[in-house]
Amino acid sequence: MKSNTLYSEKMKAAELISADWNLLSIFERLNIKLGFGEATVAEICTRYNLSPELFLMICNIYSFENYQPEANMLKKEDLPHILSYLRAAHKHYMANSFPRLHDHIHIMMEEYEDTNRYILNKFYDDYDSEIKKHFEYEELSVFPYIESLLDGKNEKIYTIKKFEDNHTNVEEKLNDLKNIIIKYLPGTYTSSIRIKVLNEIFKIESDLKKHTMVENKILIPLVTNLENSHGRK
Amino acid sequence: MAENKIYKILLIEPSEIVASGMSAIINRSSEFKLTTILPNLGYHTNSNNSFDIVIINPAVIDYNERYDIRSIFYSEDNKTTIVALTYTSHDENVLRQYDGCIGIYDSADRIFQKLHNAIKESKENKSELYELSTRERDILVAVAKGKTNKEIADEFNISIYTVISHRRNISRKLGISSISGLTVYAIMNKLIDISSIQ
Repeated sequence: MKSNTLYSEKMKAAELISADWNLLSIFERLNIKLGFGEATVAEICTRYNLSPELFLMICNIYSFENYQPEANMLKKEDLPHILSYLRAAHKHYMANSFPRLHDHIHIMMEEYEDTNRYILNKFYDDYDSEIKKHFEYEELSVFPYIESLLDGKNEKIYTIKKFEDNHTNVEEKLNDLKNIIIKYLPGTYTSSIRIKVLNEIFKIESDLKKHTMVENKILIPLVTNLENSHGRK
Repeated sequence: MAENKIYKILLIEPSEIVASGMSAIINRSSEFKLTTILPNLGYHTNSNNSFDIVIINPAVIDYNERYDIRSIFYSEDNKTTIVALTYTSHDENVLRQYDGCIGIYDSADRIFQKLHNAIKESKENKSELYELSTRERDILVAVAKGKTNKEIADEFNISIYTVISHRRNISRKLGISSISGLTVYAIMNKLIDISSIQ
């Protein structure tokens, strides 16, 4: 059961998870081990060398629909943690979420005749490679650029604005896929696999939405500030 | 609907002053009958006591909850007309959910006129909310075949702006936004043949 007040650093870490079990994946991505007894959020953050502001911001984004993070509360020292968080999330999506969805969709479509099977599998596979490219671009171009900024290098080859402008909406096609499966794919006798597929999509969709928010509302503003402090516009 | 029908109205308005005023105005008309006034949503139970029109001050709705206004007044035939009563201007996205909007400074005549429009609006909304029109279906086929907005505008002899507005409506109705998603829909529903997209 989710409460209506945002999380605070005086709360026990365990309480956060009871309040919203989706936060388990945040703990995992920040590499915070469970079994923290009665430790408060503040204590956990000290232990893992994380700023409580960042930790709470990510948790609040995940748990509260209308929460608007204020990147100004963070410092550039938080950036490496954000990057490692985002990398861990990408890894999770690529190693678990999407392969699982891929397998379920292909199993589901075995029931269908050639045309429907072909187009739906193709739609998914195209999306799959699109999202792979999306993550790859971030990992190979954007994140290294941010790290070079943090190292004090001031290469003018790139700006975060360029990333912001091209940051495509990765959930759009997932939402399309969801509606196609719910509304338009003809019914079959075995619907349990279809429900598995839909559960998976809903889970990934809501996770990606929050992930995008971390990138757009935390990462980009912080890097923009950093660029400005390097005397760029 | 017969001309002499009396529309039953529910008013949800926290201010007793405003509610009494609305009630006095509405009951001047022989067409409309305000039967119930509630100060907030809390008292509203989806009772059998169904209303033709619900007039509601959007302020009573907790925006954090982001209710779909229709889900609150769900009726089986879904024919309740929902009209906003506002003191100030509201966000367009909020008001779009309503069939009409009455302002606190509207005259009695204006209020009745707006109620009539809202009834009309809600009927139209319901019939075309989800089904694609023939024109939309044709445009969907063109989109699925990979035609650009410009090509579609030329083919149908309409402006690009109109094409875009059709496409927006198609996506809203189907819940599918991407071109490749629309193509899947078109093939699945046998609107186009798979060979026409390769």
